[in-house]
Amino acid sequence: MAPRVLVAMSGGVDSSVAAALLVEAGFDVVGVTMKLFCYARTPVPDRPCCSLDSILDARAVAERLGVPHYTLNFEDRFGRDVIENFVAEYARGRTPIPCVRCNAFTKFSDLLAHADALGCEALATGHYARAEQGSLYRALDRAKDQSYFLWGVRREVVPSLLTPVGSRTKEQTRGVARRLGLVTAEKVESQEICFVPTGDYVSVLEERLPAGAAALAPGPIVTTRGETIGEHAGFARYTVGQRRGLPGGSSRPRFVVAIRPETREVVVGSADDLDRWDVELRELNWLADPLAAGEECEVQVRSHARAVRAEVQAVSAEAISLGLREPARAVAPGQSGALYRGDRLLGGGVIA
Amino acid sequence: MPDRLYLDHAATTPVRPEARDAMLPFLGDAAFGNPSSGHAFGRAARAGLENARQQLAAALGVRAPDVIFTSGGTEADNLAVLGAVLAARPSLGGGGAAHLVSSPTEHKAILGALHEAERHGARVTFLPVNATGLVDLAALDDLLAGRAPGGRPTLVSVMWVNNEVGTVQPVRAIADRCAAAGVPFHTDAVQAFGKLAVNLAAVPVSAASLSAHKIGGPKGIGALVVRDRRAVGPILHGGGQQGGLRPGTENVPGAVGFGVAAELAAGEQPETHARLGAMRDALETALRERLPDLVVHGAGAERGPNILNVSAPETDSEAMLMHLDLAGLACASGSACTTGVVEPSHVLTAMGVPRDLAVGAVRLSLGALSSPDRVPQIADAFAGVVAKVRRLRSVLARA
Repeated sequence: MAPRVLVAMSGGVDSSVAAALLVEAGFDVVGVTMKLFCYARTPVPDRPCCSLDSILDARAVAERLGVPHYTLNFEDRFGRDVIENFVAEYARGRTPIPCVRCNAFTKFSDLLAHADALGCEALATGHYARAEQGSLYRALDRAKDQSYFLWGVRREVVPSLLTPVGSRTKEQTRGVARRLGLVTAEKVESQEICFVPTGDYVSVLEERLPAGAAALAPGPIVTTRGETIGEHAGFARYTVGQRRGLPGGSSRPRFVVAIRPETREVVVGSADDLDRWDVELRELNWLADPLAAGEECEVQVRSHARAVRAEVQAVSAEAISLGLREPARAVAPGQSGALYRGDRLLGGGVIA
Repeated sequence: MPDRLYLDHAATTPVRPEARDAMLPFLGDAAFGNPSSGHAFGRAARAGLENARQQLAAALGVRAPDVIFTSGGTEADNLAVLGAVLAARPSLGGGGAAHLVSSPTEHKAILGALHEAERHGARVTFLPVNATGLVDLAALDDLLAGRAPGGRPTLVSVMWVNNEVGTVQPVRAIADRCAAAGVPFHTDAVQAFGKLAVNLAAVPVSAASLSAHKIGGPKGIGALVVRDRRAVGPILHGGGQQGGLRPGTENVPGAVGFGVAAELAAGEQPETHARLGAMRDALETALRERLPDLVVHGAGAERGPNILNVSAPETDSEAMLMHLDLAGLACASGSACTTGVVEPSHVLTAMGVPRDLAVGAVRLSLGALSSPDRVPQIADAFAGVVAKVRRLRSVLARA
């Protein structure tokens, strides 16, 4: 009997093709779409991977492939593990990445439990990353690489993962979808957080934070020299590196360089003030044997940033300090630092 | 792949070969005509249509002109509810408020139509139901006597057999009370027809909804029996077909298939009741043996013979249905939305079933494809799935 694989089908083209490739490879494929939040609350009809249509698209693809498809409700667990943390982090003046926690807690934990219960030998997703011999690597299509979001996956889970599109380019993936006539072949890529389909994350905070929460209350905009130059309508509206929403009147462009929740201050400075030569990561997870002080690696601090060379200065079970060989720009607390050596993802942590 | 067992006859049934054969001429060159046409082609179609109406009327104990074909049970329910509101008032927008009395365990087609009527100003009163889903007749008496808020009801609508748990409502008693009070009474008889004796000659209902595909007829055809035309107004408008109450060119092949299926289902009804009832009881016993803590919803009330709705504590129907399907058992849960996400059933909620038990409810419904030989196999597979889902939940609870 062919080995059974559970495929997490979001209703997008990548996971559709992941399922298709596994069917073609002879696996006994079971498709599942995770319902992660209440769609009725955010009715955005045409956004990919966000609307109810996505569940229906995933189902249509599964029907086309002749495999069973089920929708599983993860609303409570996703709300607890991902959305609540997202809100709490913004309330603390930080900039969270919910996708990292979704991968760590929901997709490669809760869904994996379902896969085990269904007698599946592996869990497959449409991620642009490569799971090979128990390790995770960057996707061959560097422009699409999503390994940055996977540093939080438990190491023992990796041998059970399949990433069929990770060794293909996006164009090749679309080509497979077109060849098979999948309804998702021409679907626009989703750039937004799934539960913030309009991109307006502040409305999610407004909905979930208590009235009068400090994060959404007015506060001063100050320069790095301590001079107040204006007022903002809530520090949660800002992230380190942001230019938008700041007062003008300066010869050089201004950027948010820090957020101080205790005084509600949003600190602005010049581009140079964004450069950092060291990074501290917490909530560590290792996908390889932990690095020791003095060892070298590369660290990537934003989803679209280039990884920079770094040396481990200190490391414990909870935190790692890295000295950078070249400056990293706009290192925002709450974002992720993913550690690599070449293409291999070694692990990572949350920027302190 | 294991061999598949169909345990979802309350959702739909395979078309009977006799019904399919009878339909074929009306799908070919012989009798494709429009039954409203006066020429020979039209007459051939009309003959088939009116024969079907006659078959249905005979099966139900009503007059042929009382049978109004619809696109199915949902349209019949909507016509009964919204048609009653329209008949009571010249337009949905104006006039005195209609007062609709129903039960909270009705099919979504009734609940949806009631909600729409409410949006247009009607008042809706739900009769309380007990733990087995039976409506409170004393509350109905108060309403009919004008002792409850809302005034004299415009329409009372209570289903005959509940589609989720199988509870048989005291339709005869309700009909008698409504008739005595001069209040129209509609019943959704979709799940009752073919399983219970649905002899409307003996039960004074004003209107009754029926569906073909639950009794071995095709999908897309149903009927509303309308005894008192003055109590129902049309919700669709167009040509004058079916006395103007349901205009539109009739679905002749569907009606023909429905007529044949109805005749057969009514003829077989006593035997069906005995056969399915015995098998349901055997399945219930077999499941209880394997799962001593199993909860059978509606147990204690008279139930339709084909429906068994159970909850195994510490399970959820979403995972149950997935594992059952992969084990080859096609079952259903209370309510699934279009995406397949399972929500706690409104029926079980109304019956006071605690939420943690309601979310685990699974409906097994028997019919033409069911055989008593399979009972042990079904019970074993079901118990195996319960064990798997419980293990999964304990893993997730630790995570």
